[in-house]
Amino acid sequence: MINLFLAAMLTVVSPPDTTVTLQNVTVKGLRQRDYQMRSSQSSVQVSHDYLQQHFAGSLMQTLESIPGVKAMSIGSGQSKPTIRGLGFNRMAVSEDGIKHEGQQWGDDHGLEIDQFAVDRAEVIKGPAALIYGSDAIGGVLNLYTNHVPTEPFSGAVQLFGRTNNEQIGLSAKVGGRHGRFFYRANATFIDYADYHVPTDSIQYYSYYIRLKDQRLRNTAGLERDGSVMFGYAGYHFHTDVRISDSYSKSGFFANAHGLEVRLSDIDYDRSRRDIDLPYQWVNHLKVTSHTVWHNEKTTAKANLAYQRNLREEHSEPISHGYMPTPDGTLERRFDKSTWTAILSLCQQLGERHELNFGASAEYQHNRRSGWGFIIPDFETLSLGAYAFDRFTICEHLKLNAGVRYDHAQTKIQSYHDWYQTPISDTDSAYLQRSARLHRHFNSITWSAGINYATGYWVVKANVGKSFRVPIPKELGANGVNYHIFRYERGNAELDPEESYQVDVGIHWDNEIFCVQVDPYLNYFPNYIYLNPTPTFVEGLQLYHYTQARVLRYGVEAQASWRMNRHWETELKGEYLYARQRSGEKKGFTLPFSTPWSVDADVKYSYDWHGEGFFKLNAHVVGAQNEIVPPEKPTAGYWTLNFSAGKDFSLRGKTVKLTLHADNLLNRRYYDHTSYYRLIDVPEPGRNVSLMIGMEF
Amino acid sequence: MTILSLTLALISAAVIAFTACDNNDDDPRDMTPPVITDEGITANPINCQTYHRGEVIAFNYVFTDNGGLGGYALEIHNNFDHHSHSTEGDHDHECDDDDDHGDDHHDEGTPWKATFTYEIPYQVKRFVARNDLKIPADATPGDYHFMIRVTDHAGWQQLKSVAIKILE
Repeated sequence: MINLFLAAMLTVVSPPDTTVTLQNVTVKGLRQRDYQMRSSQSSVQVSHDYLQQHFAGSLMQTLESIPGVKAMSIGSGQSKPTIRGLGFNRMAVSEDGIKHEGQQWGDDHGLEIDQFAVDRAEVIKGPAALIYGSDAIGGVLNLYTNHVPTEPFSGAVQLFGRTNNEQIGLSAKVGGRHGRFFYRANATFIDYADYHVPTDSIQYYSYYIRLKDQRLRNTAGLERDGSVMFGYAGYHFHTDVRISDSYSKSGFFANAHGLEVRLSDIDYDRSRRDIDLPYQWVNHLKVTSHTVWHNEKTTAKANLAYQRNLREEHSEPISHGYMPTPDGTLERRFDKSTWTAILSLCQQLGERHELNFGASAEYQHNRRSGWGFIIPDFETLSLGAYAFDRFTICEHLKLNAGVRYDHAQTKIQSYHDWYQTPISDTDSAYLQRSARLHRHFNSITWSAGINYATGYWVVKANVGKSFRVPIPKELGANGVNYHIFRYERGNAELDPEESYQVDVGIHWDNEIFCVQVDPYLNYFPNYIYLNPTPTFVEGLQLYHYTQARVLRYGVEAQASWRMNRHWETELKGEYLYARQRSGEKKGFTLPFSTPWSVDADVKYSYDWHGEGFFKLNAHVVGAQNEIVPPEKPTAGYWTLNFSAGKDFSLRGKTVKLTLHADNLLNRRYYDHTSYYRLIDVPEPGRNVSLMIGMEF
Repeated sequence: MTILSLTLALISAAVIAFTACDNNDDDPRDMTPPVITDEGITANPINCQTYHRGEVIAFNYVFTDNGGLGGYALEIHNNFDHHSHSTEGDHDHECDDDDDHGDDHHDEGTPWKATFTYEIPYQVKRFVARNDLKIPADATPGDYHFMIRVTDHAGWQQLKSVAIKILE
């Protein structure tokens, strides 16, 4: 019988909102196996306890310890999730079942969610189009902030800091339940200074940038988040409304905004906590509502959401190409509103079948302004419907299969430069950067899988098709991207990107040893790729969106050994291979290919006036020589990391202390998947994060 | 167990089927960017070179590539605000600043701004680029950047930035 997973495994512990009375270890183990048997996809649940115990400075950095998940650092203290090497619009982030809609296409846009409001997380690796529609090709990061309080009043305060960028933060939450009504509220404040990198200078295109005190100038920032939620939780009926707002402001590295090496009259070294130009701010407002009605055989759900993502990027006005020096600092502004409605119905048919139906609608409206053009104004409407069945042949063998249909419409508005460009010796014109375009996309996706449990084994296999509607930048871009100094041209003829994937999950566990292996094989008949061409347009290299056949495969593996009550050890790793199999870059890999990596952990747990642990981790990353223009090969590296946690009891309240020390040896290394890699900025040096939490 | 072995066998078979053709002994990929050099010629312009308004810049550089060159672009823009993309490795500063920095003549004439793009015939591996670029007679005197960008057929790009000064 499968029993409790090892504590070091990520997949432990059922969600807090369903473990109210289930504290028995055996029950937890069974629930874990139930979880494994519930979906044929490779998925990992991350509990609230895990998030707290392994707090590494930010949610994405905490989740990075899951094999196959990476926090792609995108500069300015932000990081973006990638699953199995796919990020941006090739994976979805959802909060309480509703897709989070920011400017996820962008290179330097972070998560924009209050990570301290997150009760638990779930990572689905592999195609999840069936439920999530477009974009969920690489996988889904599900965040849950909807835990229903059980006490009349409860709360928690967390104080945290990290040394590398002198970050300090405070997060507080309260919640309560009175009869069937409940409420909760969160607030988070974070402030950080310029990032510290273990180098005195950066050399980029032979240009030499001296750093003061080894700090990346102007990468300081701040974050302010708040949310309130009210709800009714009855036996058959649940409804809630949540309003959240997340604001952040952060500087861009002053010496290189994008790839442009810059000198400025601004005295950046005056203070390391201030935010000068260039900087960005973003505000994400979200109003969501969840309603569930269920009886013994039927569950009906309705999720409604409004999201407004407002972003501005400011930089010193400078002329570029034929663009004269603009007025003001507003380089880009995006104002995106998204309305979402999702209905779903789950019906038990007899003992063996569980039928699920769903329909979703989403409307997006995006407006731009500022003197820098990168994406046009657009509106999109997408409608989708799905049905799937879970068929329990016996307790040990389950099958599932489903199909989904999506229709999407994209309307792109035309855009002309606000300045004139010479088109001949005597004439000049306001060039059109984006043409008016109206396109319809239809996609049929499907998925089928099997779960089988026998003895110590659980085996899962899933095969599925997923898709992604081309984004307006891919369809309509036509202009210079001055952040990267290239001319980008969209392709109005692009088809929806499709992806086929086979996933296998093999799990073996006997309480002492636990092994998990997750191989996958992924094929894109028409991966949308921004191809660097030999051609020049307006003096810059032309990058053109094309579609190519792409084959990817990889594996994540982990093994752990629980030696005794105190000691456990774990080894985990991941490998990913990608090849373009047609088109101009045939034979090359894809940009930002994740190199192989291995983690080795030793953990000592103890119970002395409350639980505690010490953990030492070695993180080894291979060299990446699989590159595609304009990348450079990246050398391998390894880092040594230490973490510790301790629970105390203080007058009946629990106090939790978490320490995380990264890159103990202060090694200097480059991350091939980092945005900063292109300008030769090494990754942060030694960093110690500390969090003190108190629950009451 | 049978399901386990079956799925493993399926995956391995699929992987082998997809990748069997990948084991090329001679990798067809071009992994080398082109080179901008003064090999065998006297390069022009070079860093800190000065010109007068109305003169001709006799551009002359050699481009080489292992696989085949693509094209090149020349771009001139002013550097009155002393931003920089120098590739000459002279740290912190390029040349001497504008003598007239402060009481400048930057409102005199029109700042020279131009881009020129050229194709290089297909499969050429060494190309001697020679182009005469006339500096407009009304160009604002001051510091300028002369950017050289070369691509090869595979899409690799090489940059060189030269700081020049235009005098009255």
